[in-house]
Amino acid sequence: MPDGSAKARALQQAIIAALPKLRRFCHAMAASPADGDDLMQATVEKALVHGDQFREGSRADSWMYRIAQNLHIDKVRSTRRRGTVVPVEDAFDLVGDDGRATTESRSDLAAAQRALETVPDDQRAAFVLVVVEGLSYKEAAETLGVPIGTIMSRIARARGRIEQALKGDAGTIQ
Amino acid sequence: MTDDTEEQLAAFLDGAMDDESAAAFEVRLSADPELAARAELWLANDRRIAAAFAPLAEYPISPELLARMGLMQEDAAEVRAPVAANDNPPWWRRYALPLGGAVAASLVAVLSLPRGGGEPQRDLSFALETGRSLEAVRLADGSTVTPTLTVKAADGRWCREYRQQAAVGLACRDGGNWKVEGTGAGAGPADGSEIGVASGADSASLAGAFARIGASDPLGIKEEGDLIARGWQER
Repeated sequence: MPDGSAKARALQQAIIAALPKLRRFCHAMAASPADGDDLMQATVEKALVHGDQFREGSRADSWMYRIAQNLHIDKVRSTRRRGTVVPVEDAFDLVGDDGRATTESRSDLAAAQRALETVPDDQRAAFVLVVVEGLSYKEAAETLGVPIGTIMSRIARARGRIEQALKGDAGTIQ
Repeated sequence: MTDDTEEQLAAFLDGAMDDESAAAFEVRLSADPELAARAELWLANDRRIAAAFAPLAEYPISPELLARMGLMQEDAAEVRAPVAANDNPPWWRRYALPLGGAVAASLVAVLSLPRGGGEPQRDLSFALETGRSLEAVRLADGSTVTPTLTVKAADGRWCREYRQQAAVGLACRDGGNWKVEGTGAGAGPADGSEIGVASGADSASLAGAFARIGASDPLGIKEEGDLIARGWQER
């Protein structure tokens, strides 16, 4: 195809543009920052291989969220058999402008991640897409391939669990 | 509370209800303090989690990582979040539509923020001028005001959300005085003293005011402390 490489370049650009948000989604889904970056990398690899599935004009971010979610579910299933645990407190090796600010946001992040860990994966994905990534129910439903009503009930249950998890953990500031 | 109620609450908070259902749910919310408190709590939790993850989409992605993923760009520049990639609505705007309407309006009618006496207003200014977020400041009349967060308005003024008795408010600093931009009723018990929630839990009813001033994301506690120490002057 004469326009094959132009198409590949367009796909790369779309993927690169979506990376920052994809990384956030992956970190919210994974149990640790390292797992989050691994998930992001695996998602990008798969997106590049299956670039023909990406419909031009559609949202690259939604497409990649979906790939990431599927990879994550696969990984969780296989990890359950092997069993590895990486503590959330293992610092993000992402460097902020200010050491203290990084530490503060890291503890906020650790608390948020602990709360999310109590939420089952399918509920967590719905919650993160809507609350963290700002998707509508309709977009989240299309991304995850489920009806809107399912998104609604998953988010409701996720919020119930998060409510329990954050109870007694009254603030981020001590 | 039935599961159906929780689902409705979720849809309401996310602006996923049609107008008619949302209006009906608002009526329910205003008649059910327990449900309203839950709405506020869920909003506060959402906001806390979204704020914790927000910076992750701001970090640059290094050329090394791009190369590892087979995405090396010709100019090998770091990928920073483009403006368009960070187009999520700010935290207050997400909530402005569902909760900025009838509920907030009806709650404003019962707010107990002292007004017109001169003294209490000055004391409120004092609390907002000097108090750190989540630390209660006792006023001359024995009541307390607790600033809950600090934001910057689009016009450059510093603004603070605060809790006073059962009410919450948003005030902005204007030439050394704090001007109340909006008020609403907080969630929970009437005296407010038993509420131990995360910062800014009650801002849902202030969403309209936050939207009007064009609020930035809340300042971190360190940044806020420095600002107070400098008497609210820019560095």
